[in-house]
Amino acid sequence: MTGTLLVNNLAGLMIVTSMMVIAARKPTVSAGLYALQSLVLVGIFLSLASLFDAHELYMWSISAFITKVVLVPLIMYRAFRKMADPKADGGVLSTAVLIMIAAIIVLISYFATKPVQLPMLTDLKPVLAVSLGHFLIGLLCIVSQRNILKQVFGYCLMENGAHLTLALLAYKAPELVEIGIATDSIFAVIIMALMARRIYRTMNTLDVQKLISLKG
Amino acid sequence: MDTFTLFIILLAIPLLTALAAFTCQLLGTPRAVLTAVHSVGSTLLLLVSLFAVWTVYQQGELLAGHNWLHLDGLSSLFLAILGVIGFITGIYSIGYMNHELEEGEVSLKSLGTYYGFFHLFLFTMLLVITSNNLILMWAAIEATTLSSAFLVGLYGQQSSLEAAWKYIIICTVGVAFGLYGTVLVYANAANVMPNPGDAIFWSEVLKHASLLDSSLMHLAFIFVLIGFGTKTGLFPMHAWLPDAHSEAPSPTSALLSAVLLNCALLVIIRYAILISAAIGPEFPQGLLLVFGLLSVAVAAFLILVQRDMKRLLAYSSVENMGLIAVALGIGGPLGIFAAMLHTLNHSLGKTLLFCGSGNVLLKYGTRDMNAVKGLLRVAPLSGALFAGGALALGGMPPFNLFLSEFMTVTAGIRAGHLWLVLLLLALLTIVLAGLVRMIVMSVLGKQPDNVSKGELGWQTTAPLAVLMVLMVLMGTHIPQPLQQLLKQATTIVLNGDQAGISELHALEQQLPGATNGAEKTALNTVLNTATNTASHSSAQEMSRE
Repeated sequence: MTGTLLVNNLAGLMIVTSMMVIAARKPTVSAGLYALQSLVLVGIFLSLASLFDAHELYMWSISAFITKVVLVPLIMYRAFRKMADPKADGGVLSTAVLIMIAAIIVLISYFATKPVQLPMLTDLKPVLAVSLGHFLIGLLCIVSQRNILKQVFGYCLMENGAHLTLALLAYKAPELVEIGIATDSIFAVIIMALMARRIYRTMNTLDVQKLISLKG
Repeated sequence: MDTFTLFIILLAIPLLTALAAFTCQLLGTPRAVLTAVHSVGSTLLLLVSLFAVWTVYQQGELLAGHNWLHLDGLSSLFLAILGVIGFITGIYSIGYMNHELEEGEVSLKSLGTYYGFFHLFLFTMLLVITSNNLILMWAAIEATTLSSAFLVGLYGQQSSLEAAWKYIIICTVGVAFGLYGTVLVYANAANVMPNPGDAIFWSEVLKHASLLDSSLMHLAFIFVLIGFGTKTGLFPMHAWLPDAHSEAPSPTSALLSAVLLNCALLVIIRYAILISAAIGPEFPQGLLLVFGLLSVAVAAFLILVQRDMKRLLAYSSVENMGLIAVALGIGGPLGIFAAMLHTLNHSLGKTLLFCGSGNVLLKYGTRDMNAVKGLLRVAPLSGALFAGGALALGGMPPFNLFLSEFMTVTAGIRAGHLWLVLLLLALLTIVLAGLVRMIVMSVLGKQPDNVSKGELGWQTTAPLAVLMVLMVLMGTHIPQPLQQLLKQATTIVLNGDQAGISELHALEQQLPGATNGAEKTALNTVLNTATNTASHSSAQEMSRE
């Protein structure tokens, strides 16, 4: 049972780190925190691997480490450090409010996943709730932040949430599936970073509230 | 040719064309070479797509690459649309982009980018259509966003970059919901299927759908509908669509509206089939009905107040996708057939109008309907085709959209949704009013002094004329192979519902262009359908009483 305890605690840590990613003012700091969070995710994969005795999950841990802990944060750090718009830092909601909303999201996720009947999940229900909650917290990040670079992090958080669900429910998926999802998210981050740079160069702002010329 | 080779050739054409275009861009080859690469790629794609559709028509379902690739009656309909619209917008692109290049709106470098991403975009959509692997299907949808974001932001102006950003964020986030839904379905299937390795293939999961967990499938369909519904442009997730469609170069707008939205719709239909087999059709149909009707309602009012021509057309896409969702929500053979037919009809109509609006943009330099006046005098052929297309889109006979809208309405009455049908008709009237307003404001009226008279050349008018011919043809006499294709697609959505399939066979006799009584006019046949339907439903009601 210690294994499940460890997984459940690590899942709790995922929520904490995601709140840190959202709350950090500078996008480059968020990139570091995102790497930290991905490390926690890799930790969960490893614990689940030993818990389920699933060697596929060891492979997942390796590829997740390469893509999520190293590559994506590095790409984001390198791309984002050249762009700064202090006026766009911070969100439309205070950190305290964000934490409260996040707590409500996790609670809702808990009740939403309650009726799910899968034999392997009896002790890991909280993790499933966390993975769903994590996904929705990513969405919260996108709608609550003014800096367009922070919106990219929101997407990454959502992706981590979905990835955790996948590991929990379908760890027997072929390795190719996991690689496919990871590659897609790397490309998504690259394209978003390129687009953000074009916006920054053309308009000299990263503030989403300045991108309002199209309406109706 | 063996099936796997066919798939590989099909997928390789747009991918290699894209690579060739990017290489030309890097090498700085002259425009003529770039255009030749693009033309050859578009033409080959049309031919091979139609060949693949023909193969499915002859041999039935194709599976290849260890179940990864798949083409059945349903996806071949979407493949046919992709091939035809890809080719038409491809030809139109040549005239349109050359004009933009001469005007200095885009550089030769951007032209290379345009053609490269154009074919990459086609490739990703082709991957959506041919994928049998649920995760690959999701990844391909995500890839369509990534490959088309640069097309949307091509002009590099403030507004187009803003549209591209909104597009990429809203759609990746939306599609992340799709991923979550995909994961739920896959995970559940992997746990209950005898061979978990097969749980990733749509066709295999469908065979074991009855084993799936009910509460998870309810949750999964909500995620799938929100996720892929974002890309389909359903309200309230449609926020990216008017921006992206209006800011993109016109041929891209046509491709977005006429092919991309359909691809996302195809994925929703795939999941609706799967989840209906697991938990019954009521829940998926109910959700489709609600989201569809809301989309039609919101879009109808926004169409009425637009000043920007391309935004108006974009909202019309929301409206039509909503209408298709409503038809799917009504369900039954007639409703599903109507949805399939409308998907095809809308693609033809919307391509005509977006390309037409491209001609307007080239002629007048603006999309503002308060400034665009007298198109019929300025460019009579474009003007007439544009007006005809707009009337068709509004659902006027003898054009094709009338037929599929009429079928949707008939299906609704037949299924006993009288109030819904009345509401729908009221909304469609508003849409028609909005389109007529566009014709009155822009096509009619005096020619402005600063705009020169004359068409822009065959490359920008011939595609419109071809589309118009197709639309009239589809409205009066649906060719036999196409009827079969639509019927096959409907059969797949019905998924073994025998009563529905025999009803479908009966329905076929009443279509315009049916083999018996070919001399009947379209209107007559439709009216026959209507009267038959009315008597059917009253008979049903009587038997119920």
